[in-house]
Amino acid sequence: MSAPGELPMMPSEGEPIAPRRRRRRRLAPVTAPAATRALVGAPALVPAPAAVIDMAPRTPDLPVPAELVPLTDLAPAIAEISVSRRRFLGFGLAIVGGLTGATALSRLFPVFEETSSAPPPIVPAYDPVGKAWTFVVDSASCIGCGLCVVACKEENAVTEDGRFARTWVERHAVAADGTVYVDSPDGGMAGFPPTSTAPGAEGVAIDAAFFEPRLCMQCENPPCISVCPVSATYLTEDGIILVDPRRCIGCGYCVVACPYGARYITPAADRAPNDAPGVADKCTWCYHRISRGSLPACVEVCPVGARRFGDAADPDSEIAQLVRERSPKPLHPEFGTRPRVLYLGPSIEEA
Amino acid sequence: MILTGRTVILAGRPIPLAPREAADALTREVASMPRGLRIWFAVLLAMIAVAVPAALLALPPGWEVLGTSPTFEWGLLIVGYVFFAITTSGLCLASSLGTVFGIERFRPLEKRHAVLALLCLTTAFGIIALDLHYPIRMVFGAMLVPSPSSPMWWMGVFYGIYLCVLVVEVWSMFTNHPRIHQVTCTMAACTAIVAPATLGAVFGVLVARPFWHGPFTAILMVASAFLSGTALLGVVFYAVHRLGLAGAERAASLALPAIRSLLAIGLVVVALLVARQVIAGLTSGQPAFFEATTALVAGPLAWQFWGLRVAFGLAAPILLLAMPATRTPIGTGVASLLAIGGVFVDRMTFVTAGQIAPTSAAGNVAAPFATYSPSLVEIAIILGALAFVALGYTLAERYLDLAESDAHAAVTLPVPSLDRIKALLSPRRPAVAEATGTPAPATLVAAQPTAATAPGTDVR
Repeated sequence: MSAPGELPMMPSEGEPIAPRRRRRRRLAPVTAPAATRALVGAPALVPAPAAVIDMAPRTPDLPVPAELVPLTDLAPAIAEISVSRRRFLGFGLAIVGGLTGATALSRLFPVFEETSSAPPPIVPAYDPVGKAWTFVVDSASCIGCGLCVVACKEENAVTEDGRFARTWVERHAVAADGTVYVDSPDGGMAGFPPTSTAPGAEGVAIDAAFFEPRLCMQCENPPCISVCPVSATYLTEDGIILVDPRRCIGCGYCVVACPYGARYITPAADRAPNDAPGVADKCTWCYHRISRGSLPACVEVCPVGARRFGDAADPDSEIAQLVRERSPKPLHPEFGTRPRVLYLGPSIEEA
Repeated sequence: MILTGRTVILAGRPIPLAPREAADALTREVASMPRGLRIWFAVLLAMIAVAVPAALLALPPGWEVLGTSPTFEWGLLIVGYVFFAITTSGLCLASSLGTVFGIERFRPLEKRHAVLALLCLTTAFGIIALDLHYPIRMVFGAMLVPSPSSPMWWMGVFYGIYLCVLVVEVWSMFTNHPRIHQVTCTMAACTAIVAPATLGAVFGVLVARPFWHGPFTAILMVASAFLSGTALLGVVFYAVHRLGLAGAERAASLALPAIRSLLAIGLVVVALLVARQVIAGLTSGQPAFFEATTALVAGPLAWQFWGLRVAFGLAAPILLLAMPATRTPIGTGVASLLAIGGVFVDRMTFVTAGQIAPTSAAGNVAAPFATYSPSLVEIAIILGALAFVALGYTLAERYLDLAESDAHAAVTLPVPSLDRIKALLSPRRPAVAEATGTPAPATLVAAQPTAATAPGTDVR
């Protein structure tokens, strides 16, 4: 069936008639010029192409749609302008190899080290190595006064707009049927009205209620760090997650990635942490205070000791004893982020 | 583009540079336009005129002109970005059947898809720049401080490459560099799979948002990309057919039937994936996933989902494509319009449902569902973006040659002569123009083996 002078088809549109091995041979660049010569009238000088496809239709009497067939006539020309599979694969391999090589090289010669590593500690005299900062919240003790929220906003220049908070207090009101109504008017900044402001809670008989102070969980497996496209969020040696406001682009990816809702994009208000509007911000456990030997502002002002903080690496510390004796637990362990804020009281029973 | 003294020659037309002459030329040009076109341009320019101040308001960091909040950080601008970015990929996916795999039916899509893809991707980047508070910092930050653990970084890398490839593709298409064009078409087709899949991964990696989380998100994103790209081609080719623009015959005989098959495939695949998402969500033990899906099918998003997404965006176009009475160009055009609207609503419900189950109650008094309504600034920006794509495309349609390129028109010749082949292979191809003007009636070469195989015979 394959007469000399017939043209090979485009590799991509052929009927799978020829065996695979032979099809691959047809892709060799030699084929196109040979076929071109065959076309212009020197069949005796040129051996027939190694493999050709029978282009005659199965039933020669039936007309074949014009647009489907004549493409083959220009096979050599199109073969010339089209990309051979081998070249294309080579091109792809070169890109992948180049990327891998660049990655390997950047490990050997840390060109980005100066910019991509964490900045030096905020306090030069502070040695972060070996610290195990731990935060314990006792939701059974919290009275929802909101002093911690105010202290945080004051200490860290957070805007007074209630939607933006580094720490906030939620009220969980449990109805007789088990429905939980959660509200946090202005983050609990001014305390709470007697009845829940959550939609649908009006007039519902509440069986039990408790306050739940919330803040950044400083997770051991933080999703906010791995998603940041410009490495603006980083982990300090003592396990605190910080945001470099000079590098953040304000994309909000970390805000949606946080399972605890601890992040927000700073509005351009009178007060903005680091005087940087439009960047991600969150609780730092008052890193500027703890690295100087103080307590976080919220811990310091809490009138009932519902917020406890310390270095659990010291076995004699109050926080280490608390963790040992009352074994507080993290909220929502199902997200797998290993939070380092631990809770006592009804928060844990609800979670 | 040639710059000669006081004029610039763009696509064969001399355009004066002196302000007065340029204004005169513009007036003459506008006067020569048909009335409908003038109205069309006026509407688009008005939409853009509204969008420009909105965009200026959205740029300064922290101005809070968007309707987003800490509990609902991603809003309409992210929806718009995702929509235009995946549409770009879909355009390349659909037309790769012609440009990369050489299937004749899909050849007419080639030039138009590339122009649309470039416009859509530029628009997508424009929208994301407005959503970001520090877009310049992003460009330098992503290059100087690579963050390979972040899917968003990879998305930037892939879409950045994509933009470069598309620019070269469009340039080579209009400057007769067939080889470069073929390479860039192939690269664009590859990126068209990788880029939307990575965009899906941006949402898919978020454990905190169970509605987005999981490997299906990337698949849904690629399928939606295919659907919206095909649908946009459907709308455009219906217009080409209806208005009798360049290549209108092939638009009706080849492009629209080809788009119809692709559209049917895209609609069925997306319908399956949407059904999977709803079933998985309603049977999920994860509270946030269940809540989000409930919000979608029986909560605040139900009218969007059932009315716009399912009825108008999936069921209606499937019916239009399936019923024999509407297997017409207008049927395909309307189905395409509905399908692309459906994809936009789908992106909207997707982004909204992912955040509707709040992660904290701080400042959020709308439990159990977080609320978000786009601000006027966001709506104006999105409408302006749509107008920008439409305006850019109309200009391209009017001033550039969007008929099929020479190589493919010549393909319909029975047997080319050596001159023609040489002309095809040479970079500037002078002789082919004459061949494309009047393509010979395609004869049944293959059915006449003797004629076809006779060396050097030009059947014409």
